[in-house]
Amino acid sequence: MEFLLNRDQADIQKAAAEFARGEFDPDAALEDDREERYPLNLRKKACDLGFIGMHIPEEYGGQGLGVLDNTLVVEAFCREDSGLGMALGLADFGAEIILRNGNETLKKDLLPAVAQGKGMLSLGFLEEGQFISPMDAQASKNGTGYRLQGKKDFIPLAALADHLIVACRTGPKDAGKMSLFLLNRASDPVDTRPSGTQLGMRMISMEELVLNNVTAPADRLIGEENEGYGPLMGFLQEMAVEAGAMGVGMAQGAFDRALDYSGKREQFGKKIIHFDAVRNRLAEMRIQVETARLAVYRAAWLLDQGKADAVTLWTAKILGAGAALRVSSDAIQIHGGLGYMKEMHVERFYRDARALDLFLLPGKVLKGRIADHIAGREGQKS
Amino acid sequence: MNILTYTDAHEAFRQRVRNFFKAEVAPHADAWEKKGIVPREIWRRMGKEGFLCLGVPKAYGGPGLDFLYALIVINELVHTCHFGLLAPLHSDVVVPYITAFASENLKKRYLPGCVKGDIITALAMTEPGAGSDLTSIATTAKEDGDEVILNGQKTFISCGINCGLVIVAARDPSVKDSYSGLDLYLVEASAPGFEKGNCLNKMGWHSQDTAELFFNDCRVPLSNRLGTKGSGFMMLMNKLQQERLVCAVSAQTAAECALEMTIDYCRKNTVGGRPLVKFQENQHRIVDMSTEVKLGRTFVDKLVAEHMEGKAVVAEVSMAKAWITEMAVRVAEGCMDLYGTNGNLEELRIGRFWRDLRVMAIFAGTNEIMRNIAAKFMGL
Repeated sequence: MEFLLNRDQADIQKAAAEFARGEFDPDAALEDDREERYPLNLRKKACDLGFIGMHIPEEYGGQGLGVLDNTLVVEAFCREDSGLGMALGLADFGAEIILRNGNETLKKDLLPAVAQGKGMLSLGFLEEGQFISPMDAQASKNGTGYRLQGKKDFIPLAALADHLIVACRTGPKDAGKMSLFLLNRASDPVDTRPSGTQLGMRMISMEELVLNNVTAPADRLIGEENEGYGPLMGFLQEMAVEAGAMGVGMAQGAFDRALDYSGKREQFGKKIIHFDAVRNRLAEMRIQVETARLAVYRAAWLLDQGKADAVTLWTAKILGAGAALRVSSDAIQIHGGLGYMKEMHVERFYRDARALDLFLLPGKVLKGRIADHIAGREGQKS
Repeated sequence: MNILTYTDAHEAFRQRVRNFFKAEVAPHADAWEKKGIVPREIWRRMGKEGFLCLGVPKAYGGPGLDFLYALIVINELVHTCHFGLLAPLHSDVVVPYITAFASENLKKRYLPGCVKGDIITALAMTEPGAGSDLTSIATTAKEDGDEVILNGQKTFISCGINCGLVIVAARDPSVKDSYSGLDLYLVEASAPGFEKGNCLNKMGWHSQDTAELFFNDCRVPLSNRLGTKGSGFMMLMNKLQQERLVCAVSAQTAAECALEMTIDYCRKNTVGGRPLVKFQENQHRIVDMSTEVKLGRTFVDKLVAEHMEGKAVVAEVSMAKAWITEMAVRVAEGCMDLYGTNGNLEELRIGRFWRDLRVMAIFAGTNEIMRNIAAKFMGL
């Protein structure tokens, strides 16, 4: 058992933290959050320095590093700024599906552009009811290709993406057979519109996509027909660890700010950090950060070892997002009235943490999935 | 059995208030949230309907009604899904200082306007360096003949932009003792040397014009002092019970409102053809949240009854303010969980409750201060 980062990993962590400190502009973050704007320029810089798609192999334009390395970067970014960190982390949403399931042509075509910031990718798997199945969007055979029909919702940054992966059923509604298709925004007639104004994660617009008889040639199918569920789940599980890392970063960032503020702020003739109500709260926050970090690092490490199981991966997201939510709320309380003001940023961490917990698959849904693994699905209707 | 007895007259009043808010306030709440302030005019409309300052005696232009009427306005206002139109602060927190402690002349001059909504009031206690610790208030009030000169800065002042009259807490620099040096002064917005800052950008309460206030050699007549010299701290302590009760009632009502909205959502929305309310896990969650909400209501209604009997229930009100404001955030968060991914969408408004409720654990005395006060009154 070895709980220490190796030298390379420590260097990556340090480089990511330095990049974030140097390049993240807090005022710009406030503005991007207010205007619901994606920080495209920052993404370009992060790509140029190899911080995006770090775990993509070198032959496909990445750094050929591990999931744990990527986790460290995502954590460091979200520690510096919840919104900007998430925005950078979600610029290649769905890339792992291509990486793990795409054929050689697809990988060579798509991954380098994504990793180098020349293109953006996203994935649509949810629908209005917010669950994966039963699925309404359908792909039916059309000659040698397919015809896609239906709607997908909550696709991150779909309006900016050049390519979109969509999950469609390729069979009757209750058969549970689905396939994954790649759409090209330049040539395919698809429209996106915002799912709505968001409370948190405001830099990352969620979009609705309408598939109105879109024809897709056979080579747009990713992986095997009818076998999309496994790859999708695999991706969501891998993504759960990244989301968990975002949560750990946000929790740590909120803790840093609360610690700093409480060491400076004086009331009743002493620094507020010396009151039990504050110092014990800081201790509790620290415990939350540490617990979540252990779970997330372990999950990432298991992924790199090829030994990860679903429960461990879902747990990483639940604990990471949960820690972010609790710790950022505590950070607001320690800041008092100032904590509720946008200028202090912790309220944004709190909103982003709330959104992170509801994003991907909400914590509540994930607990249900863990229960499925423990107790089976017998007697469960949906 | 209800803890509070609402008469037919109360119920008729409630119906009038509800209809008015439904027609004149709720439809504009979203626009006011965007604008960051509510229009001056809506205060006058409320005044015209007789919905402001219900406790002000008839002699000063008010209706002289009991606290239950105020409670009805507070409850109904929460249902409009915004907190910008902060009538309860004006009617039930600030104006009572004037009614209780101002001279006859001041009461005659200001109270009728407060009742009509021509004058909106604000209470300026908090400063950048004085939040929880009121003894560290640094704004000075220096007597100069029959005037007093105010210097200092206040922050997080609700209705700071719309206000026409501010109660300012300031200290006499010649008095060493931090308690007996504190006084409250009525300052008109037109007073020379008084300046309003910009609206502050907050996580929630977007329609509320919370602002900073600046006093630079601001001169007000010495006769604008409330109570006797040096009684500022005593007056604040005296009135904070009601302020915290009002805060607890607002949070309580908001929790009820959010839960009601969520149950309705869970009846109408389905997963795999099955309504969300038909899943055991959701049912249990809703039951647990309802239990907390009902406990809160029972507690706060009992405190309202005791408050109306004139009892000092400072410890209990402090407990209620802390517990209920935290419970309300917990409930709003649980409600968002039931909305799932949709909970992050502003249009569904459940997130607005969550954003808006969070500050209630901080203002009107942070919950840490509430616990300090309760501990003190329990003799710990």
